[in-house]
Amino acid sequence: MSDFTGWARNATDPARAASKPEALPGLRVLEVCPGHFGGMVAASMLGEFGAEVIKVEPPGGDPARTYAPEGISIGGTGLPFLSEARNRRFATLSLDSEEGRGIFRALAKAADVIVTSESAAGMETMGIGYTALSAENPGLVFLSLSTYGSFGPDASRRVKDSDILCQALSGAPHIVGEPEGAGPPKPHEAPTRLGNWHGWFVEGLWGAFGVLAALNFREATGKGQFVDVSGAEALMKFADYNITWMHTAGRARERVGNFDPAVFPYTYIRCRDGHTFMAAYNDEAFESLMTIIGRPELVKDPRFATPSLRVRMENEKALLSILEEWSGNLTADEILKAVEDYTSKKSGPGAAVVTGRVNRPLETLSEANWRERGCFAQIVDPVYGDLLLAAPPWKMTGTPARIKSVCRPAGADNREVYCGLLGLSPAEVDSLSHRGII
Amino acid sequence: MSDFRAFAEAAFSLSAISGRPEALSGIRVIELATRIFGPATTDYLGEFGAEVIKVELPLRGDLMRYVAPQGFFWKEASPAFLPLNRNKRHVTIDVRLPEGKELFTRLADTSDVVVENLRAGTMDEWGIGYRQLAARNPRLVYAANSGFGQWGPYSRGRASYDATAQAVSGFSAITGFPDQPPVKAGFWVGDYTGALFSAISILAALFARRRTGEGQMIDISQAEAMIRTLDWTWPYAGLTGRDRRRAGNQDVMLPPSGIYRCADGFTAISARDGEERAALDRVLSGDPGGNGETLTPDRVAAFAAARTREEILRISEEAGFSAAPVVGGRDQYHDPHLRARGTVWELDDPLYGRIDEFGPCPKLSESPGRIKWTAKPVGYHNEQVFGGMLGIPPEEMEELSRKKVIGTWADVPGARPPGPEREKPAAKPGAGTAPR
Repeated sequence: MSDFTGWARNATDPARAASKPEALPGLRVLEVCPGHFGGMVAASMLGEFGAEVIKVEPPGGDPARTYAPEGISIGGTGLPFLSEARNRRFATLSLDSEEGRGIFRALAKAADVIVTSESAAGMETMGIGYTALSAENPGLVFLSLSTYGSFGPDASRRVKDSDILCQALSGAPHIVGEPEGAGPPKPHEAPTRLGNWHGWFVEGLWGAFGVLAALNFREATGKGQFVDVSGAEALMKFADYNITWMHTAGRARERVGNFDPAVFPYTYIRCRDGHTFMAAYNDEAFESLMTIIGRPELVKDPRFATPSLRVRMENEKALLSILEEWSGNLTADEILKAVEDYTSKKSGPGAAVVTGRVNRPLETLSEANWRERGCFAQIVDPVYGDLLLAAPPWKMTGTPARIKSVCRPAGADNREVYCGLLGLSPAEVDSLSHRGII
Repeated sequence: MSDFRAFAEAAFSLSAISGRPEALSGIRVIELATRIFGPATTDYLGEFGAEVIKVELPLRGDLMRYVAPQGFFWKEASPAFLPLNRNKRHVTIDVRLPEGKELFTRLADTSDVVVENLRAGTMDEWGIGYRQLAARNPRLVYAANSGFGQWGPYSRGRASYDATAQAVSGFSAITGFPDQPPVKAGFWVGDYTGALFSAISILAALFARRRTGEGQMIDISQAEAMIRTLDWTWPYAGLTGRDRRRAGNQDVMLPPSGIYRCADGFTAISARDGEERAALDRVLSGDPGGNGETLTPDRVAAFAAARTREEILRISEEAGFSAAPVVGGRDQYHDPHLRARGTVWELDDPLYGRIDEFGPCPKLSESPGRIKWTAKPVGYHNEQVFGGMLGIPPEEMEELSRKKVIGTWADVPGARPPGPEREKPAAKPGAGTAPR
């Protein structure tokens, strides 16, 4: 086992990634996603694996560069953009003129993948949609990201895709947060958004998955295709058994705060230094937990004797109070130690007592584990300075993902892209620039 | 515009899907996993045509089978188990026994991908980890899904569920309201997010394999996957030394976008750029030119409170900002848009009959995903896989049954088939160790 751990570290440590080959070299991706974070995520996933990503921004820069928490931006670019601008070249191009669209068609002819959050129907009208581009380049994989998707009765709804729209329609907030209590509802007794841009993020992840599946098909057949991803559906896919539950039981899931309708204990409990997660829901694990907290008799308590009894809401609440009587005087680390001391002597279902501190971001950053595993990258960028970024999460033996660059100003790579890739002369590039096309 | 509609209607017609090729056909995936993280990973691959063989322990199988919402089983199956395990072949192997290891190894020899989510190092200890399997099948892509990774200070002995990842990553700390405790998302987001990252890396590794001829091991931690999704949290912490704070239902990056209470529920209101903010300004001020007053959440809340979701949607469309209702499972189940897209997939399962579930997410025009069947009882496909695919003769299978290496379901809800099939398990070859 220790032998395996040592081998695994040696074979997958991200610190050694730079010396290994990449998974997707030679794959060219055009990202046309102004104002859209999900498109950046999709392109980043491919770029981290070695695809050559060219981000095409409108002249003057992507509006997403202006998104800035507390107004914090660096060199005119906000932190969200900087967090997801890795491994790209940055070109500018106006699609408003026929000349600009002609250049785009030339780029698309030389590309393997297009990632766009612009309306697929609108692009078609402009002559730069999937059918036009694929006629010139039949191997093209065209990823369209939108709130509702590109077909179906609601596809023509006029919205600008955003995280909050995708979250609302996904059904996720509906089952996140506190239910309404007695009396007038308090502000927090409401469907609750996931605090990060999880809607946008997952839209991008499913986009990357769809592109990679399409590329597998292309390797076998030579054929490209249109990949349609709705951001609402992307996060919807994660909302557990929502549809199956409706179909089989005729019931819809509702908010239950930090409780869970299917498994318990499976909740956050108060402890001396904040909150920690506590799960022990199968019978064997529940017995372990009751032993750990010194209440073994509760295993036979008529409220808690079976998994079905434990998930009755009144019993979940009673059990939570019992757990918090125990945890209130302990720190999250002490709870973790108590659980590990007990479960390390067990195996199988009885060992399934699971805990972990509810970390504030700075607490996560203070834990050596993540740094040691290369989860964060502290990078000094020549333009944007010293930045802390989340690194690719995978550790891989063969073709690991990696961060090669952080960001560049809009259009910084125009010359390289237009001269190098399309063979324009520097004078032609200057002329396009003077006329506001790039 | 109409050109595109015509293209889309033909390309994405639901009735054409079954006649089209699949994107991942010819890729064989072995799953040795329980609950969600591993099973969701292979479910995503199976939706696009990978041939997934799910290996469970005889009798009780995957413990997720017994995670039943409100204790409810439908036709002897948990509605929480079914949607994680579509298009799979369900076999049983007790991989802790020598003959089980050998049988599992034989399966892996014929496969492209193995996905497991046991505690770090367990498979290696059992002699069926990446090192042992890849020595025989160097083309193997092996995804080790876990809570904290295969190495590092937290990798030893620490178990993990979805909410461990929600908790330790910082995700819950930034979700919820400023004056309230951190929120655990009410769905298993830490599992699905990790699973999708895992599936993406498997596809990337398969792509690389075409060039290199070699497989590889992927170590993916669900906590680390969640860390990756927290957008500006990390550069903000790095620059300011401060924690990003919980912002309730406001998207502080795109003010005043957020979720608002309205007359008949809740609605999202979104203004992504100057154009949309100007449109919102015109509506809130009632002035066709707008009045330029700050678009505070309070003003939006007052506007929303007096109107229904439908009214707000209509006003947003006329004015030029964006809105969408906050919906739940019931709305989705009955939504004609989602049914027209196959997102609510209408499945006729050979064993369970009609059952509607979430369909594939990305819609591919040439090689679309599809749901062919839903999960099956423990060991349901033993004969088909061991006899048919591996060519194990009936006598040998009986021997394996007798030694409890393979076998079908325990006679309990969650493991066993619906009524009629259950009464004659012995009629299924290889069912020797079945019901008490």
